[in-house]
Amino acid sequence: MDSAVAQKTWELENNILAAEAPDPSSDSIFHYDEVAQAKFLKDKPWANDPHFFKRVKISALALLKMVVHARSGGTIEVMGLMQGKTDGDAIIVMDAFALPVEGTETRVNAQADAYEYMVDYSQTNKQAGRLENVVGWYHSHPGYGCWLSGIDVSTQMLNQQFQEPFLAVVIDPTRTVSAGKVDIGAFRTYPEGYKPPDDHTSEYQTIPLNKIEDFGVHCKQYYALNITYFKSSLDSHLLDLLWNKYWVNTLSSSPLLGNGDYVAGQISDLAEKLEQAENQLIHSRIGPLGTSRKKEESQLAKITRDSSKITVEQVHGLMSQVLKNILFNSVGQQNRNEQPVSDPMIEA
Amino acid sequence: MASSSSSGLTFKLHPLVIVNISDHYTRVKSQMNPPPPTSATSNSNNSNGGENNQSPPRVYGCVIGVQRGRTVEIFNSFELLYDPSTHSLDRSFLEKKQELYKKVFPNFYVLGWYSTGNDAEESDMHIHKALMDVNESPVYVLLNPAINHAQKDLPVTIYESELHVIDGIPQLIFVRSSYTIETVEAERISVDHVAHLKPSGGSAATQLAAQLTGIHSAIKMLNSRIRVLHQYLVGMQKGDLPCENALLRQVSSLLRRLPATESEKFQDDFLTEYNDTLLVTYLATFTNCSSTMNDLVDKFNTAYDRHSRRGGRTAFI
Repeated sequence: MDSAVAQKTWELENNILAAEAPDPSSDSIFHYDEVAQAKFLKDKPWANDPHFFKRVKISALALLKMVVHARSGGTIEVMGLMQGKTDGDAIIVMDAFALPVEGTETRVNAQADAYEYMVDYSQTNKQAGRLENVVGWYHSHPGYGCWLSGIDVSTQMLNQQFQEPFLAVVIDPTRTVSAGKVDIGAFRTYPEGYKPPDDHTSEYQTIPLNKIEDFGVHCKQYYALNITYFKSSLDSHLLDLLWNKYWVNTLSSSPLLGNGDYVAGQISDLAEKLEQAENQLIHSRIGPLGTSRKKEESQLAKITRDSSKITVEQVHGLMSQVLKNILFNSVGQQNRNEQPVSDPMIEA
Repeated sequence: MASSSSSGLTFKLHPLVIVNISDHYTRVKSQMNPPPPTSATSNSNNSNGGENNQSPPRVYGCVIGVQRGRTVEIFNSFELLYDPSTHSLDRSFLEKKQELYKKVFPNFYVLGWYSTGNDAEESDMHIHKALMDVNESPVYVLLNPAINHAQKDLPVTIYESELHVIDGIPQLIFVRSSYTIETVEAERISVDHVAHLKPSGGSAATQLAAQLTGIHSAIKMLNSRIRVLHQYLVGMQKGDLPCENALLRQVSSLLRRLPATESEKFQDDFLTEYNDTLLVTYLATFTNCSSTMNDLVDKFNTAYDRHSRRGGRTAFI
């Protein structure tokens, strides 16, 4: 199949690992080795190195559950816990479950209700054969990107003091749907007073104006971990077959319509940022050349990058609409071929 | 035991359920057959050794979702405990789990149960009947975990129970029902993400390639399905295959649905959307231009300012 060849070429070009299909022996990641885990917990190799954990492996199931839960919250932040284990310098997330708590941006800890839920759920899970422990928490930032806010940072620092090993994951369901790829970030905070040795810049993302202060103040207090995904052999097999059924949804999805609000919000946010940048540009005239001039430039450059990103997403959405239009609406203009359609798409 | 259903209910299955069941099964299987230990000390609870292949375990669980009128939508699932001695599911466990899930997903309720295996068995009817007091007509979702690369269809079947009169005795038997896969946009993207391991980020070119590849595969699929139908119809026309009026009627009604929408209003809306996107593109290009312009001006100033500092010459606006 041409698409398979194209996909493989592209995967190679982009250095994607795990291009080979996992065989049943690689399902060993699903095995929970209690003895080894207990030993690891006793050793605590992370106590001396704040940067100990470098990678995160998320299972297909956990990712699916977290994204669906985050999306179901709409514009309200939702949160949940993740279960899994550790493996050297990697934290492995096997499963996730939602907590009945809403809008945790104003609360430092989940309430007692959620604790009870947590305990009950973990108990029932252990009975049903899921032996892993809680290794982290996730929550959603609908529409404003994957980073830790001030409250999140203090919650995570608390967690890392008492519940190690613990991981914080943030998901943005709105950007996921808008961009067509999963927007997720995994973080661990540095302990109080620790200065990170090198200033590695994380992947740039646009932050709305009303949140940018919160972001800036705390962005040095945590670091991002590298995320990879894994799935079992049965999962891969099922997912491949699933494609046979839901190619329909790929064609019929209409991102333009679903994200109208979000895009409008982004554009108005950009407009405000532009005004700010303009003020700064006007006020710094000849002045001392050097750093101050560079700052505004980079702000304007940032705005440009953001606007390009939004536009690209819009254009993608429009492309699929145009394609659908050509496929299903221009039949009358072609010659009369008897070409039956297996599944009619309805223009949204 | 598995004839086709006549209840008229349509089933919609979410991929999350499938991945859930698969994960449950893989977990239980790997706990039973632990991988050979890599370190020198072997685990004490290793009763099977490394390579012992037991018969694949059957796992059981419950599926939850919503039923609206004639449509049954299965959203999620969770595991249940099975008691092999009494051939029944642990009731209190079910209720406890139900409560927990009710707190987070208040709209969902128990729709049925699931299991893994090749085909529905007699003992399954027992469990099915037990669940009937939770939901009058539960569904039974069966996943076949045997990986068979030759098969093209999802190894998931949905059974309902129906009262049939066999040999004069009314009995409940399982009947197969058809289902469709239903996803929300977010689900589709994350399934896509994990299935094809697409790279996140990257330049605009790779993103474009990603988007187009996805649509291309979908259209290719559509094309191949159309071809199959076409061949079938040609065969029928030639007389090689028996004429099936029901199918012909379906094809004809589908054909009549094309073009999908042709109203005036649609054209207007479509063009408006098109223009909006073009406007956004224009704005972005504009911003890009002004940013480049600004850079140019600054560089110019840096390069030429020194020569003309005196005379009160100001920079460009």
